[in-house]
Amino acid sequence: MVALVLYGISAAYSLFLLQREIRRDHILNYSLLLAGFIFQTVAMLQRGFSLSRCPIHNLFEATLFISWALLAAFLVIGLFPKFRFLGAFVSQLVFGLGIFALMPALDKSQAPEKMLEGFETSLHASLVLLAYGAFGLAAAAGIMFLCQERDLKSHKIRALVSMMPPIQRLELVISWMLACGFILLTAGLVVGSFFMKPPPGMSLRGDFKVIWSFLVWLMYLGLLVAHWQFAQRGRRLALGAIGSFAFVLLTFWGANLASPIHSP
Amino acid sequence: MPVVVIGLSHHTAPVELREKFAFTPARIPAALQSLRDTGLAEEAVILSTCNRVEIYAVTHLEPDNAFAALRRFLCEAAGHQEPLNNEFYTMSEPHSIEHLFKVACGLDSMVLGETEILGQLKKAYELAVQQRSTAARLNKAFQRAFNVAKHIRTNTNIQRGSVSVASVAVELAEKIFSTLSNREVMVLGAGDTSEKAARALLSRGAKSVIVANRTHERAVALAQELGGRAVRFEQWADEFTRVDIIISSTAAPHYILEPGKLAPLMKLRQNRPLLLIDIAVPRDIDPAVNLMENVYLYNIDDLQAIADDYLRLRQEEVGRCEAIIRQKARELLDGMQRSRQS
Repeated sequence: MVALVLYGISAAYSLFLLQREIRRDHILNYSLLLAGFIFQTVAMLQRGFSLSRCPIHNLFEATLFISWALLAAFLVIGLFPKFRFLGAFVSQLVFGLGIFALMPALDKSQAPEKMLEGFETSLHASLVLLAYGAFGLAAAAGIMFLCQERDLKSHKIRALVSMMPPIQRLELVISWMLACGFILLTAGLVVGSFFMKPPPGMSLRGDFKVIWSFLVWLMYLGLLVAHWQFAQRGRRLALGAIGSFAFVLLTFWGANLASPIHSP
Repeated sequence: MPVVVIGLSHHTAPVELREKFAFTPARIPAALQSLRDTGLAEEAVILSTCNRVEIYAVTHLEPDNAFAALRRFLCEAAGHQEPLNNEFYTMSEPHSIEHLFKVACGLDSMVLGETEILGQLKKAYELAVQQRSTAARLNKAFQRAFNVAKHIRTNTNIQRGSVSVASVAVELAEKIFSTLSNREVMVLGAGDTSEKAARALLSRGAKSVIVANRTHERAVALAQELGGRAVRFEQWADEFTRVDIIISSTAAPHYILEPGKLAPLMKLRQNRPLLLIDIAVPRDIDPAVNLMENVYLYNIDDLQAIADDYLRLRQEEVGRCEAIIRQKARELLDGMQRSRQS
C-alpha cells in the first residue's frame, strides 16, 4: 500500500512534469519510483515466504508482478539520466496496475487440485511476466516517441526544450525492449510447454491462455521481423509496440479467466 | 573611491561611431598606462568589442569630473572632434557594478544571453592585470562578475536554446539523431546561411559534408573550406542514400524535392530519419514531404520562429537575472565597505 501511494505521488508529479514540457530532471520521480519499488519488493518477498512459493499464482499477484517487472526494467534503464524521462509514463502505468490489483475479486486462492507447484512453475510465470514488463516499457517509449515526433513535425519549440532524448534513441529503446521481452516470453513459453505437466485431467492443447500466449508471441515476432527485415521503423514501430501492449493489457485477465489451467 | 564606467555600445551608438572609438588590443596597454599617468584613474580596464567600448575605472575624482575627463580621453584616443549627444553613458556605484555584471551575463548584449562577451571581458581584465592597472577594487568587481555570470548561467534560462537559424538547425539534428558523429550532411546551393549551418553541424561532430551547387567551382571551393567533397548538381540525388541531413538553399524557381521523388529514396535508405532544412526562397522542398514518415522538414520561417521563441524564453528570464544581479552587487559593495571600515 505504501508503494502504491508512492506510485500515486510519482504519477501526479509526472503529470506536473508533462505539463511543464518535461524541462526538469527526473531524479525526484526516479527516487519516488525506486522507493515504491523497494516497498513492493519487500511486500512480494513477505508474501512469497509466507506462501512458500513465488507470488504469481492469481491475477492479483500476476498484476503486481507485471508492474514490478516494468519498474525493474525502468530502474535499470533509468540509471542513464537520458532515459529517466520514461518514468513520467511508467508511473502512470504502475499506478493504474496497482489500483486495478486492489480489486478484491482478483486475490483468490487457487484450488489445491489445480495448483501447479515447483521451480518450473515459478520460472515459467516469472519469465512471462518479466516479458510483459519489457513490452510495457517498450510501449511507454513508444508513447514518448509519438509525442516527440508530433512536436518535431509541427515545429514546436517544445520538441527542443523538453528533456526527451532524440527520437532515434527512443526507437532504439523500443526495439531493445521488444527484443528483450520476446526472448523472455519465448523462454517462458518453452519452460511452460516442455518442462511443466498440466494438472491431472487437464491438457495444454486447446487451452485458451496457451492459444492466447502463442498469438501474443506471434504478434511480437511479426513486429520484430517487420522492424529488422522490412525497415518498419519510427512511427510504425512505436504504434506497433503501443498497440501490442494495449492488446496484452486488455486481454490478459480475460485470457486467464477463460483458461481452466491458469484461472484462479 | 568608487568604480565608475563610461562607454558607448550598440544601444547608444551606430557601428560607424563604435568602430571609430574601438581600441585594437595592441593599443590598450598604452591607453591604460596613459589613464594612470594622467591621474585619471587609479585602476582601469578597457573593454573593446564590436558592440561596445567601455572603460571601468577607479578614480579619486568626483564622478562628474571623472566622466568629463574620461570622455575627453576617449575622444582624443579616437581622434573624434565632432559633437556628441547621448552616445556615451556613464554610471557610478552601484549602477556601474550592476552594469558590469549585466555585461558579463550577456544581458546587455545584442543577442540576449550570448556567452562570447564573457570571454571578451575576461581577456580585457587579464590584459589590465598584466599591465598592473588593476588593484583590490576592480579585481574584486571583475572576479565577482565572472562568478555572477556562472551563477546566472547555471540557475536561470537566460542562455537556454539557440537564437540563430544555424544553431537551431543543429539543435533539431540533435533531437532527431542519437549522435551526430556518423551523420553525413549535404549542402544544396552554397549560400551563406547553409554554410553556417553546415559548419555548426560539423563543429558538433557531423562526419562529413557533401556540397552540390549549380556552379560546380563554387561547390568545390566550399567543400574544400568545409573539409568535405563536391558533387555535380545533377548528381546530388545519387548521394541521397548516405546523407541524413540536407540543407537546401538553391535559387531554383520550383521544388527540387517532392514526395514522389523522395518516397523511393526513403525506401533505399531503409526509412532512416531524414532532416531537411530548406532555407531557400522560393522554397526548394515541397512542404508535403513533412507528412511522410521519418522525414522532418523545416523551412527558414520555421527555424526563425523557433529562434524567436527561444529569445522570448530568454526575455522572460531578464527580470529574474536583474534581481539576482542587484542582490549580488549589493553584497559586493557591502563587503567592500566592511573591509574598508575594518
